[in-house]
Amino acid sequence: MTTDLTGHVIVVGLGFGDEGKGAVVDALCHDRPTTAVIRFNGGAQAAHNVVADGRHHTFSQYGSGTLAGVPTHLSHHVLVEPIALATETRELEALGVPDPLDTLTIDADALLTTPLHIAANRAREDARGDGRHGSCGKGIGETAWYALLHGAAEGDVVEHQRVTGTPGEPPRVGDCAHPTTLRRKLDDLARFYRPLIGDAPVIDDLVALYRDFATAVRTTRGDEVGRLADTATGRLVLEGAQGVLLDQHHGFHPHTTWSTTTPHNARALLRGRPATTLGVTRTYQTRHGAGPLPTEDPALLARFPERHNDTGHYQGAWRTGHLDARLLTYAADACDGLDGLAVTHLDATDLRVTTAHGTHDMPDPRHWIADHLDRPVLVTGHGPDRTHYTVRTCATITP
Amino acid sequence: MGHGKWDDNAYAAAKTFRAAKGVDDFGYTAAMRKTSSANWKADPSLDPKGVTARECRDSPDHADSTPIAVLFDVTGSMGRVPQIMQRKLGKLHGLIQRKGYLTDPQLLFGGIGDADSDRVPLQVGQFESDNRMDEQLRTIFLEGNGGGQKSESYELAAYFIARHVVTDAWQKRGRKGYLFLIGDELNKPRLEARHIRRIIGDDITQDIDPASVYRELARKWHVYFVLPNQSSYYNDPQIADHWRDLLGQNFLKLDDPGAVCELIAATIGLEERVVDLDQALVDLAEVGSAAEGEAVGKALVQVGARTPATRRTATPPALDGPDDVTLS
Repeated sequence: MTTDLTGHVIVVGLGFGDEGKGAVVDALCHDRPTTAVIRFNGGAQAAHNVVADGRHHTFSQYGSGTLAGVPTHLSHHVLVEPIALATETRELEALGVPDPLDTLTIDADALLTTPLHIAANRAREDARGDGRHGSCGKGIGETAWYALLHGAAEGDVVEHQRVTGTPGEPPRVGDCAHPTTLRRKLDDLARFYRPLIGDAPVIDDLVALYRDFATAVRTTRGDEVGRLADTATGRLVLEGAQGVLLDQHHGFHPHTTWSTTTPHNARALLRGRPATTLGVTRTYQTRHGAGPLPTEDPALLARFPERHNDTGHYQGAWRTGHLDARLLTYAADACDGLDGLAVTHLDATDLRVTTAHGTHDMPDPRHWIADHLDRPVLVTGHGPDRTHYTVRTCATITP
Repeated sequence: MGHGKWDDNAYAAAKTFRAAKGVDDFGYTAAMRKTSSANWKADPSLDPKGVTARECRDSPDHADSTPIAVLFDVTGSMGRVPQIMQRKLGKLHGLIQRKGYLTDPQLLFGGIGDADSDRVPLQVGQFESDNRMDEQLRTIFLEGNGGGQKSESYELAAYFIARHVVTDAWQKRGRKGYLFLIGDELNKPRLEARHIRRIIGDDITQDIDPASVYRELARKWHVYFVLPNQSSYYNDPQIADHWRDLLGQNFLKLDDPGAVCELIAATIGLEERVVDLDQALVDLAEVGSAAEGEAVGKALVQVGARTPATRRTATPPALDGPDDVTLS
């Protein structure tokens, strides 16, 4: 069996996020012609670090191929937060990326994350006190939840959360160009959330802001991913956000994200076109905020200093543990067809791995992980910079 | 309501999105782009072909006119600079006038491309002192191609300004105008006669050495080349050496491409000896461009050593001498 990276590539994280997906996507985009990076889940809570040519950016809504000059498409699975998008646009401009918004297309059906969702998210997480879920406080779960409420009535319980008012239709990116529709949806949203967050910001201002947003970005309708795949000369890189262990179905509830972090959305977008699924893992385990981390070892924190991740007010502390063989197997299985691996942080030394038989030394993590998952390692990372990454285009695996 | 600085963030976001729409403000470019590239041409108001002269004249309202010509490289990523300029035009004009750098500035805008490969390699507007400047700027066609040879036809633009612009400032007062070329590449090795004939319409039969065009130009103009930090050429020593050879310390590197307007204003203030660099930066801060001031200060650090003097006395030198271009 041959696995290669010359065609479309789906990049997913095999951990709790922070595996190095951003740097891997950048390395892939830099390695060979890539038409677009497609985001297929998540929203403004993504934080993918790329260091290249002396520049560093934490990608949130833009695809991590941006510094490699590759445009981004936000599919309908992505939750779009225009205010944060504007901030990120200015950050990219400051790095010398010309006209970042010009490199972006967004599916008109993508859900909008508004300041109302964000306020509701934070109000709920604050109310949980010590029982926090580890939310980033960016309104992602709230956006996904509100979109599920169609037909629900006050007092119903949807996905373990009590419905506090009468929900309306969720606002979507395509609505931003239609002020009447948008205003109706935002009015409904503000009325719905009033019991939780009180008075909303002036809806007129939001409508005007989103109108400006709509004219500044190009929205697409229909099968944009198919169009890109069939008409363009380069391949597509489909960039996952978060990790398989945070998946809404495969993660450990309630410490999950309201998102399909496995490759399934990406495959649906490709509609049967072949793609290589590349799972990204560090040589050790990490997690942000609350939730299980079976191999956690606080002593590791000092050994693996984290330049671009720190404690978020809503998200909680940065945590590390030894590589967890069982979680790795579990994550690979959840991908339903993992073709190859990207192993990052190979510069870390004196690593250990925890298996069903205890914790033992792992002198050669690259080979250990390849053997353990029986998949070839196609991308390796020895540090944070693009120059620390190596892409192997092709690998033959002996069955 | 718990989501913090909504107003600040939303305001900044709206501004970002409106700013990004800059390209839509350039309606002529948008309209051209909808047609086949075979039909691309300059708007008639900016077409240099057959133009005897663009004029910068005194008027009863503006008795002491000074020409400021700003010509942008409109290829590739450089196309963003006119958009930045358009957003800050009011600021530039206001700063120059209100701070007394010049009494009656008149601005002309133009676009520079590649005569070897572009459909529209040169565009030159008229000198204006009111809102028509803005219109002119937005009518520039941002062709956006440019082709990898690391050179654009700056010398063709320089030739046009040298030969096809007449100004009362020079003719009546012997005062130089200001020419700012904004780009990131080299001049073409030769100014080709065929390009002059095709694009400007002059009956020239021999190619011209670009350096001689800049020498001729320097007699009547303060000529600056601004290299904004916008492309990989920013740190290319070949670009810097090339322009320093031609213009000396009037080759200006600008860290922040968003500060082009501020740089032009401050440069004029220094050249006119109305302000020194420190005062120019104070003036910038006063009009809300403190952030841009840092890049401007860096760009002008060599020029800024000049001491400000009282306003010049007008002693016209021998006017309009013979052309001194070198034919090659």
